[in-house]
Parts: sequence; structure tokens; C-alpha cells
Amino acid sequence: MNAPARREIWREIRLPGVQLSGAATVAMLVVAVVVNSALQPNFWNSYALTSNFATFVPLVAIAVGQTVVVLSGGLDLSLGAQVTLAGVVAVQIVDGRLDRIPLAVAAALGVGLACGALNGLVVALLRLQPIVATFATGFVFSGLALVVLPTPGGSVPVEVTTAYRDAVLGVPVALLAILGLALLWWVLRRHRVLRHIYAVGGDADAAYASLVPVTRTRVQAYVLGGLFAALAALAILANTGSGDPFVGNELTLASVAAVVIGGTALTGGRGGAGGSILGAVVLALVTNIVFFADVPTTYRQLVNGAVIIVALALAGIPALQKSPASRKRRPVA
Amino acid sequence: MSPLLEMTGVRKRYGGVQALDGAALTAVRGEVHALLGPNGSGKSTLDKTLAGTVVPDSGEIRIDGAAARIGGPRDAHALGVAAVYQQLSIVGDLTVTQNVVLGLEPARRWGFLDHRAARARAAAALDRFAAAFPGGLPLDRPAGSLGPGEQQIVEVAKALARGPRILVLDEATASLHKEQVAVLFDVVRELRASGVLVVFTSHRLDEVFALCDRATVLRNGRTVGTVELAATDEAELVRLMVGDAPRRSGAPAAAARPSPSAGAAATLEVRGLTTERLRDVGFTVRAGEVLGLGGLQGQGQSELLLALFGAARVTAGEALLDGRPLPLTSPAGAARAGVALVPGDRGRQGMFAARPIQENLSLASMHRRARLRLALGAAAERRAARSMVERLGIKIGSLADPVSTLSGGNQQKVVIGKWLLDRPRVVLLDDPTKGVDVAAKEEIYAIVRGLADDGVVVILNSSDNRELTELSDRVLVLFEGAVAEELSAAAITEKRLVAGALRLTPGESP
Repeated sequence: MNAPARREIWREIRLPGVQLSGAATVAMLVVAVVVNSALQPNFWNSYALTSNFATFVPLVAIAVGQTVVVLSGGLDLSLGAQVTLAGVVAVQIVDGRLDRIPLAVAAALGVGLACGALNGLVVALLRLQPIVATFATGFVFSGLALVVLPTPGGSVPVEVTTAYRDAVLGVPVALLAILGLALLWWVLRRHRVLRHIYAVGGDADAAYASLVPVTRTRVQAYVLGGLFAALAALAILANTGSGDPFVGNELTLASVAAVVIGGTALTGGRGGAGGSILGAVVLALVTNIVFFADVPTTYRQLVNGAVIIVALALAGIPALQKSPASRKRRPVA
Repeated sequence: MSPLLEMTGVRKRYGGVQALDGAALTAVRGEVHALLGPNGSGKSTLDKTLAGTVVPDSGEIRIDGAAARIGGPRDAHALGVAAVYQQLSIVGDLTVTQNVVLGLEPARRWGFLDHRAARARAAAALDRFAAAFPGGLPLDRPAGSLGPGEQQIVEVAKALARGPRILVLDEATASLHKEQVAVLFDVVRELRASGVLVVFTSHRLDEVFALCDRATVLRNGRTVGTVELAATDEAELVRLMVGDAPRRSGAPAAAARPSPSAGAAATLEVRGLTTERLRDVGFTVRAGEVLGLGGLQGQGQSELLLALFGAARVTAGEALLDGRPLPLTSPAGAARAGVALVPGDRGRQGMFAARPIQENLSLASMHRRARLRLALGAAAERRAARSMVERLGIKIGSLADPVSTLSGGNQQKVVIGKWLLDRPRVVLLDDPTKGVDVAAKEEIYAIVRGLADDGVVVILNSSDNRELTELSDRVLVLFEGAVAEELSAAAITEKRLVAGALRLTPGESP
């Protein structure tokens, strides 16, 4: 009966289980699309669609990254800062020159990988609570970003921004990027690392006893999160054409919200990035709605925050309904 | 024949408790070797040492003559050791197939999973147990949706899929039906025939005699001896496990205690109590009486206790304590009215495993010692906890150690002690000796008797009929949430209890 202390440690870190059903996620998406198309005059016009998708991509990418970390039983509050850091490093390297793009992309991915590895080591090896640890590393990454690029600036080759807003056979490039992220997830899902991430997030002790390398898996989850943050950074650069040392700040909270709206359990081990992608689109549409509903600029942040809380609360309702019932139905051993 | 496995001088300390104190185990290939001992004797810890989930403080392990260093489950696997744990290593959200291959997933190039190979391997591993799955192998179902027995089988299949030369089965039969046990035994015999060493731990002695060749007995973390089971009987094994200390002749205290006079004021009166799982339960218990709850487990006994403690939704009925209605709406209200519950699942409901013993003991009664209902004195808290440790004979290292460092019996005493400090008038005990060793059992019995002698109303649910006969003044036999039979005094026999539980017509057993 001597439960190893390890078990207690990981128990404490878990957040209360919140999971939304797939139907609820789709319902939210439908409502958001309907409201948005009612408010935005030419929502379905191809220019508006292209421009909408162009702004969705970064959030979708970071949401996929957050999903991987959450599935492993963790949480990464530094993802937004990683987006910022990867973005400013890439923009400093590319410096408006087309031939430096491969180098800049590699650098951004390298930054994501390094940040993720640092987070993973801090959480998995030093066993700090993920929330506290990544909150702190987030400040480090933001600070580094300011050193690299103190004020908004830098430039991305115009070919990139043009291509990003273009369409291939009538399909916006940004939509292809989202589909590409979904495909990337589909591929990862078939890899051993993701299986181990699900196992560790589902029950770390059972996974450990089942020969899963728990520490390594945790680190890998954070590294994957960092790589998706780097992809988000590249999408932002392609969309805006310049670097900004504050651009990622609001993405962290949005990424967690997208994961929850998408139906992934914050306790880990259950859910997937498919839902998070829909969740990210829902959140982006809400931002759109707030804009087109003529909410005064001063109130926009407040309204956005309130909408996220409502979405999180909606996600919590099934859990609330379930818990008293399951308490009553406890099997009498 | 040189031994396949030699463990010597294995020591492991958890907090203040020496779980293993120089344990040894020697076993050869092609045998089923039982590991026996009362709870807290270190069986599980020794199993885990071999499986790599516990790293011993010292000791030597030799496998096939070569010194083995087992620092984790992966090391154990490399040495050909696979284990089935008491606490399952099943990830409920993964499918059965995914669980069986977990950690050793067949993969193609670059780590991409080979689903077909995984399914084939899982099917092959589970196929030996096909008889235990009447509805076909549940390869694609989430493991969490299976029943406890089926999960246990999956766990065994998972260990077998690793092709071990040493297989550790730690209480692997505890949640199995009889048919499932038979299937498992067949598989174990096959393994033995093919030269595998199976280390088998079970609290059911009949299983040990049916399956095992030899047994090593542990007591207090030390190896007491190894015996050939063919030449040993149950009494001998029990003697080895319990030691030579003269066993207290279990004085039937219920009989010895002056039975409460019929005229005494009724203390707890329950009328028409109905919940989701209880139907119209009514009874009266007097102060100083031990009321047992018997019957097959899961017939509403725990629910009745929870209802009286305000932790189940009561749809009809009432309970009167000395004529005054008990609030059946919240545990806090029940505790204020003088009702205490020692829950069945102590790990989840009875204690804060990671918190110190002292805190666990003093928690429920802090309000009694708080000055101005606000401030707690460290000395008073310590004194209170210390007094309970002494009164109940709880074996601890230090009051500051987490409860999780204690053995099951001592954990249970902490859970009981927590409530005794609050001086309750009604104590509800939900299977208090489940998973508790023989010696601690006797001590808990003494505590229960002491409570009744002090004029407390005791309601005891027990899955152990002998326990009910030994402790109860009266027993209510429950069946499907209702009282099927009430037995009192001389009528409380194991035979009558079993008959009542199975609802045999009362006429058959006079």
C-alpha cells in the first residue's frame, strides 16, 4: 500500500477535468459562422474569406501545439512568447531577402525546438509544476525577443506576403496551411511519440510501469509544442510582413481556450487536435464578430475575454453534470 | 539446478517504515513460486523491486547467476521480467490493443506505428484467455470500459506479450470471477511447462495450494522460510505467516459483553430510508450495540452508511438520533450531529495520503480544540494526535510522516482515530479490515468493541462473515437494497449469514 511519492506529485499538477463533446464544438462553430456572416457584409466573398483564413492560421498552429502538451498531462503558458521569439529571430535573419527564407524558417523551428526542450526539461526533469514553470520561461522568451528586436520592424520579402494571400485553384493558401496543419497532426497521430504522449497524459504511473519512457515523452511533448509555435510565428510573419516583439502575448490564453473548446481534457490523455483546430476557428470568428459588431476598441479586449470565459464555462457544463452522478454511482466494492 | 532468480538482503524503507528488511527469494525456472505473508509484510514491495517500479535501498538480485541491476521497469524488461501489479498499469483511455503493446509498440520506419502488427500481437496475447471473454476479444474497446476482471486479464496478457522468463503476478486473481481464475491458472501451468518462473502472490490460500509448487513466506519485511507446498498444510503456513506468538483465542466479545437491555433508550432509529439503491430500510440500534450489515457485497450496505452520513441522496425516510432527526443532507451536518464514517475506500475517501499523520488525525476534530473557534495550538494538536496513536497502537515513525508511508492496517487506524478524536455517538464502519493484516485486524476488532463498551452506536459493514459473527450483536442481511433478514445473538452464524445473503428460504436453515 505504499504509493510512491511520484504518484502524488503528478496528481497535484493535473487540472480539473474539463472536456467538451464533439457535437458541442461543431455547434459553437456553426453559431459563430452564422453570426459572423450576418454581421460581416461580405463574409462569403472570396477576398474576405482569404483574409479571414490568413488571420486564423497562427492561432490554429499554436492550438495544435498546445493540444500536444495538454494531452501529455502538461500545459505550456510560454507558447505565445515562443511565437514572439521565433518570429523576431526569423525576421531579423530574413531581412527582406528571398534567398534567406530557408535559413529563417530553420532558425524559427530551431527556436521553437530549443524553447520546447527547455520547458520539457524544467517540467519533466526538475518536476516543477507546468503552469508555474512555463509561466516563468515565458518571461524569459519574451525578454529575449525584446533583445533581438526592441521595437516592431524588420521586413519579410513581399513575395511571401503576396503568396500567403493568394489562392491555388481557388483555394486560399491560408486554408491550405490549415489543412496542412491538420495533415501534420494526422501524421503525428500515427507516430509512437503521440501514442506515448496519450499514455503518459492518461495515467503516468501506468505508462511508467508499461515501459513508456515517461520523462522523455514529456520533453517530446513540449518540443512538439515549441515547433508548432514556430509554425505559428512563420504564419504571422507571412501575414503581417514584419516582426513584432509583442505579437504572441494574447495567443497563449487563446491556445488554451481553443484546446478546451475543441474537447481535449485538461487532465490529459483524452482529445485531439482536430477539435482544437475547430476551437481555434471559433475563437478567431468571435474576434471577428466583436470587430464587426462595432464594439468600441476600448471594450474589445474585455469582450474577447468574456467570450472565452463563456466558452470555457460551456465546456465545463458536461463535467459538472457528470461528477455528482458519478459520485452517486460509485461502485460499492 | 541453478536458481533462475536469487534475491538476497533486500531492504527498502518508506519514511519511518521498514517495508523490506533483508528479504530473500530464491526460485528456479519452471516453477510457480508463491510469495506469502500478512499485509505489510513486504510482498508487494519485493514484487515491485523485481519489476523495477521500486528501487531497493540495498540488496542483491541475481538472474541466471548474473548480478542484475534493476533501476526501472525497462531494466526489468531487458532481463526478461514482466509483472502484473495489484494497482493495474492500464491506461483507460487507450484501447485494449494499445494497452497490450504499450511501451513496445511495433513500428515501421521512423517510429510510425504498425497498427496491423499491434492488433495481431494483442490478439495473440489475449487469445489464450478467449474463454474469459464470452463476447469475443475486445481489442478495439477503450480499456477503461471493461469490467475489473477483464482489465485484470488484459494486464496479464500485456505482461505475457513481452515473452518474459520471470512473470510476477501480484494479487492477479483478486478481481477475477471463478471461471476467469481457471483460465488464468491454465495459462500459468502452460508457462510453467515451458520453463517460465512465475512468482505468485495471493491472499487466497486455496489458490496458492492449487497452483504453486513452493512458497516463500515473508513477515515484517524478512523472509521467514521457503516450503514445499505438497508437504505443508494451511495451519503450517499460517503459523509461518503469523509467527509463533500465541494467537489470542478470539473471545466472542459479542457474547461476552452484557447484551444491552431491551428497555434502554433507543439511540438510533431509522425509518423507511430510501435512496437510489436502498428500499425502505428501517431498524433501531441502541447505544452500546454493534449492528452488523451482511449479505453479498454491493447490496446497499455501503450506501446505507453513506446515507446516514449525509453523503447519498435520500429520497424518503428519516433517521432519529435520540428522537431528534439527523440531517441527512451533508457529511458536515452528520459529523456535527455526532455521526462518523470510516469509509471503505480509505485511499480516496478516508485520508489525505500525502499529508502528515498528525494532520490526518486532527483534521475532523480541530473545531474542538480551536481557541475562539479560530486559532489552533501546535502543542494541543500534537498531544491529541499522539494520544490517538497511543490509544490505537498505530505503528508510525514520526507524526510528521505522510500517511501513505504506513501499512494498510495502520492507515486504517489513522482513519478511525481521526473520528474518535471527535468523540462521535454513532460510528459507521465500512469494511474496516479489508486489506488489513491479521494482527492489525485483531486490534481493529478491539477498537470496535471498545467503542461499543463506551456506549457508542456502531454500525459495521463487513464482507467477512467471520468478522460479523465475532463482532455483531445483531446483523441485518441486505439484498438488493432492502433488509432481507435480521439475525440476532445466537442466530449469527456464518451459515445463517451465507443463507441469508443468498436468500435461501429461512425454513431451510433453522
